[in-house]
Amino acid sequence: MRLYLFCLLISVFPAAAHAAVAQQEMRPGISASADYLIGEPGKPAVLLLHSFLQTRDFRTVATLARGLQEAGYTVLAPTLSLNIPNRAQSLACEAVHRHSLDDDVAEIGRWVSWLKSHGHRSIVLVGHSFGSLQLLAYLSLKPDAAVKAYVGASLIEAKIGTAARAALIAQLEDRVVRKQRALVKQTLSFCRKYPSTPEGLLSYVRWDQARLLAALKQSPVSVKLIMGDRDDVIEHGWFKALALVEVPLVIVKGANHFMDGAHEFDLLEHTLQSLVTIQQAPSR
Amino acid sequence: MKMKWPDAISIKQIALALISGLLALVSLVGGFAIYQTRAVTHSLEQHSQNAAQSELAAAVQGLLSRTEEQSVKLAGWDETRQQLVLPEYYTYWRDQRLYESGMLNSSHLRAALYAPSGMLLEPSPAEISMPARLPAGTPPHQSASWLIDEAGTVALYYAFPVYSDEQRQTLLGHGLIRLDFMPALLRQNALHFTDTASVSLALKPGEILATSDLFPRLRFNTRPDPDQLRFQTILSRTLLALFVLLAAMALLGFVAYNRLLVRPLGRLSQFIDAMQHGRFSPNPSRSQSMRISELENIRRSLFDYQLQLRELHGSMEHQNREFHTQARQDTLTGCHNRRAYEEDWERFRQELKTAPQGVAFLLFDCDRFKTINDTYGHAKGDRVLSIIADALVMALRANDRLYRIGGDEFATFLSRTTPAQAKQVAQRCQSLIEAAGFADLGIIEPVGLSIGIAFCAADQLEQVNELPKQADIAMYTAKQPGRTRIALYGEDTERASQTLVASRETSALFQALASPGMIEMHYQAVHALPGRQVDYYEALARIRYHGKLIMPDAFLPVVSSRRLETEFDLAVLNQVDADLSSDQLPTGCGLSINLSAQSISRPEVVSQLLELSRHNARHPLMLEITETSLITQMVEVRTYLDLLRTVNYRIAMDDFGTGYSPLRYLVDLPVDVVKFDISLVNKLGEDNRAGQVVADFARMMSEVGYSLVAEGVETEAVLLKVESLGIAHAQGYLLGRPIPLTELAASFTAEGAAATCNA
Repeated sequence: MRLYLFCLLISVFPAAAHAAVAQQEMRPGISASADYLIGEPGKPAVLLLHSFLQTRDFRTVATLARGLQEAGYTVLAPTLSLNIPNRAQSLACEAVHRHSLDDDVAEIGRWVSWLKSHGHRSIVLVGHSFGSLQLLAYLSLKPDAAVKAYVGASLIEAKIGTAARAALIAQLEDRVVRKQRALVKQTLSFCRKYPSTPEGLLSYVRWDQARLLAALKQSPVSVKLIMGDRDDVIEHGWFKALALVEVPLVIVKGANHFMDGAHEFDLLEHTLQSLVTIQQAPSR
Repeated sequence: MKMKWPDAISIKQIALALISGLLALVSLVGGFAIYQTRAVTHSLEQHSQNAAQSELAAAVQGLLSRTEEQSVKLAGWDETRQQLVLPEYYTYWRDQRLYESGMLNSSHLRAALYAPSGMLLEPSPAEISMPARLPAGTPPHQSASWLIDEAGTVALYYAFPVYSDEQRQTLLGHGLIRLDFMPALLRQNALHFTDTASVSLALKPGEILATSDLFPRLRFNTRPDPDQLRFQTILSRTLLALFVLLAAMALLGFVAYNRLLVRPLGRLSQFIDAMQHGRFSPNPSRSQSMRISELENIRRSLFDYQLQLRELHGSMEHQNREFHTQARQDTLTGCHNRRAYEEDWERFRQELKTAPQGVAFLLFDCDRFKTINDTYGHAKGDRVLSIIADALVMALRANDRLYRIGGDEFATFLSRTTPAQAKQVAQRCQSLIEAAGFADLGIIEPVGLSIGIAFCAADQLEQVNELPKQADIAMYTAKQPGRTRIALYGEDTERASQTLVASRETSALFQALASPGMIEMHYQAVHALPGRQVDYYEALARIRYHGKLIMPDAFLPVVSSRRLETEFDLAVLNQVDADLSSDQLPTGCGLSINLSAQSISRPEVVSQLLELSRHNARHPLMLEITETSLITQMVEVRTYLDLLRTVNYRIAMDDFGTGYSPLRYLVDLPVDVVKFDISLVNKLGEDNRAGQVVADFARMMSEVGYSLVAEGVETEAVLLKVESLGIAHAQGYLLGRPIPLTELAASFTAEGAAATCNA
């Protein structure tokens, strides 16, 4: 299978040339861009989102995007602005984080709309890691009808380290209420010190495992998760929890959180399988 | 005579010149080496300067490039763009985030963001003075950099535009990087040739300098190159060591040259000079030997030569002393001769100028020495002189010298004396002469000594030159009959008058000899007997001086004492020649001329007589030889007389019968006429044995062919006696006194045709 995909990648290389960068002004002064990889007509478009603070150039995402395009799928791989004009670099943990999950979700919505504006009526949301969370947050709101399915790779909650989430949330909410604008440095995801505005941090901190499970359960579109059994980033018991909500889950043996190396093809393979399944399923 | 070489230079000078030249050459080479070293050093310094300039330029460029790179990174950094859009947490970003992220890797770096309008987003802290707005004229879409002196710190600012997108279409604002220029420049560790402590930027406070104009304003020094310094040190030490070595070698060479050549040559030169000046080394063989074999050979040769010269010199000195002594010693008497007298007298007069003193000049003359000589022969005469000299030497003081200045004339001069002391010395001389043993020689006549003394006091030394003359006058005074035979010049009036006469006669004589015509000839007739008619005339000399006649008895002693016989006789012959040439004497009148014995042996007198013989045809001439006792060269005199007889001169022996005309000469000389002295003639008048002897002698001489002339006939009785004895001629006051030529000529004129002489 891997050999087949490799050969496909080589043989359809000219198709890669059908690519463009899409750009939108998400907020005044804040533009964001996305790689628009044009696939075969008739196949659903994939909105592929990178993980936390990364860009679309993150290796796992970029490889997957090319693979999907090569498989004939149009891929739109945006880079979330994180309230940085034309952000092109992964944002450091220590940077001033002026973004919130709401901003992220809004940008996802803008890109879904962009795809629709480009004629794509069937959109599959594919996310990696925290991107899976952000896409799920989008789905938890009122997603566009063109969104047909959701594939979450290495889905992870908004980890806050050892801090008590409830207390943190309460503290952050208090700051927000008090309009205290001082940056809060808190562990978030893989960032040990994550300076952020209280409301921005609060928007992420609320997404714990429970909320993720709920979102998965309540997803309006089909959901599929692809996880690596060697993912040491996710919390212990996450698989068990996922099993409890009976989410379709593909566990790639030997793969870590980033599905790198040879597991990039596993990720692509399972994603393509999901897309094939989605194509065959009746639309919503 | 020592040859002078004014241009010659000594070997020491040559050595000095060589050493100086060597040192000059060494100095020149050293100077050239130093020049080359300095050129190399200068080249290295120039190279270092260029290298420093290059590396400094590179460092500046590198700093600017890194700053530019930093600006590019900063401009492209997402968080930079974020701050320009959402600057709420700008200060956090500026003060922490920039450094934590590593965008600014040094605390010396500062960055600030400016709105598109150029205004600073947020004021900077006080310690970080970022400009509130970008300088006017900062291009909005280009980078700009400048330097400014901020309170002594040179700050480099780099402004750059920040765009929203990569296409640089939307300008978000500007970024500004500030860094401390000097620390940043020098922190690069790229300066190897530049002395970092010396790097400075000539910037006035507040002046803004574009980085494009930066380099010309940089001031810096090159870092001393240790290798170059080591090279210079080594080279300098080497040159110094070389110079010192060469100088030491030159000095040693000079010392060696001096010791081995100059000194030995100098010693040789001194030896040669000493030899040239007659100074000989006492022992040349002991002199220090020389290390140079050639010089040692020369030294040995010189020493051998010196030894030979010493021997020769010693021999010559001995001979010179001998010659000197002989040249100044009278061989007969052993006392000093006339030459010594003249030298000593001249030296003594010079000494008197510095040491005034009383001086006495003593002149000694032996009385009747001629008679003694004629009577007893020359050998005894010489012996008499020796005895006189010995006696005088004994009589004189220890330091006085006796000089023989003439035949029987001696002189001495006494220093530091008085007239009385001089007289005492003179008296002692006379006493010793009187006590001398002349009798042992068979001389029975008393031998006397006349002494003339002249004295000059210490305060009258200007007259010292007159002393010999005064002593001469005094001596003739002493010879006057009746005197004590010691006379001091100027002692009394009588002596003074004598002095005047003597002085007048001497002056007249010398003037007459110098001026022809002053000698006047008087002619006394010589009568033939028994007819008593005039046969011929005898020419007798007189000197007319200031209108008065001076008679022979007055000037002949002066002629004799001054040894002027020849000159006087020549003057007489000239005057006789003039008288005969005047034709005032009748033809046939013979003439008899008196000549001294000394003159007859003089070639010039003989020559004059031969010239005068031309008158013999008209006036038969006869020569009367007087003082024949003084004839010492009998052979020559006889030869001359024979010659004169061939030109018809007749020879007469004058004063026969006195000591002046010994009988012996009648045999040796060709005599025709013998003139009896007045003393003998007077004997004829006496009727006693002496008269008989004279008469018999005259008769005998007439019989053997001599023609006799009786002189001094003053009485008729004597004339009769003379006639009776058959003497052919007579002469005297009885028959006629001497008269001048003019008077004689007048008498002939008066007698008319009868006036003539017997042929």
